Amino acid sequence: MAITEKITSTTTPTFWEGAIPVRYVYTYGLAGEKFFRTVKDKGTFLATYCEDCDISFVPPKVYCDRCFNELDSYIDVGTVGYVETFTLSFRNMDGSEKQVPEILAMVRIGDTDGGLIHYLKGFEIDEIEIGMPVKAVFKPKAQRKGAIGDIIGFGPLK
Amino acid sequence: MKLEDFELGGTNLKSSDFKTGKVLTTEWEPDLKYAWDDGVAIGRYLAELRKGRIIARTCYGCGRTMLPPRMFCELCFRPTDEWTYVQDTGVIETFSVAKVNWDASRRGPNEPPLLPAVIRIDGASEGMGIMHMLGEVKPDDLKIGMKVKAVWKKPGERTGAITDILYFKPAAAKVKAKTKAAPGKKGKR
Repeated sequence: MAITEKITSTTTPTFWEGAIPVRYVYTYGLAGEKFFRTVKDKGTFLATYCEDCDISFVPPKVYCDRCFNELDSYIDVGTVGYVETFTLSFRNMDGSEKQVPEILAMVRIGDTDGGLIHYLKGFEIDEIEIGMPVKAVFKPKAQRKGAIGDIIGFGPLK
Repeated sequence: MKLEDFELGGTNLKSSDFKTGKVLTTEWEPDLKYAWDDGVAIGRYLAELRKGRIIARTCYGCGRTMLPPRMFCELCFRPTDEWTYVQDTGVIETFSVAKVNWDASRRGPNEPPLLPAVIRIDGASEGMGIMHMLGEVKPDDLKIGMKVKAVWKKPGERTGAITDILYFKPAAAKVKAKTKAAPGKKGKR
């Protein structure tokens, strides 16, 4: 009987390897387009704000996810933020080991309720504290493409 | 009602809007590697292909010889019972003449069309067979019901894959019969 026909040798099981070629082009949407266009052209961050709920969104949303209000006014909230939480990454995307660990942080932007996950640059690991202010460092304007990679990371205020 | 009568939401974008940078985009190619456990049936099937043989699985309940092999009969709802070697010959159940590649790119003017076919394998039960490519045949000469035979890779080059069979070509007997209808094919082999 087949169900009782069991593999007993550890070298018997075989597997099939493959790779699925998938490539995508993603548009940021209405609010995302404005956000990244501003990063590219002006080197600053935009937020939307819901007056009814007193919540601000970074990256901006076109509607409030609590009350579904349409949000159509965009506010420049600057490039300073605060470390909400952080971690060290010892691995590259492909799983290989990093020679020097990267510091990744959730940075709350200005006095908004939103923020970005990005690298912290120019810090010793020991000096990072939750709540410390950091400032976005952008690539030179000519090199910006309107993407999250236009930001090199968040560095010290001075 | 026509499509134009509906008020459509969203933002219409043309491919030129992407190319000219009217909208910002981000591109990515995820690394989607996988390793799939063959299981008992397909594992044996692939191992036998490497040896140049096609193996099927017989169910004593319904008497079917199933190809590709499976360890469970979906009709009898019971385990299958016996390994059965089948022929590397068969009959074309259906075929297609494909002028596009797998990624939908067009085949060049000098590239012959691809000829994928479902082939009922001799020795397996009615309608049981595999999908493979046809070769050594002109698309115009193809017929449903045509006898075909596997053309294998050389033993040293086989890897335990369905591509250990290069393609199926018209079986010798049928080719002879075929030359009557299509004289141009004479001496092809």
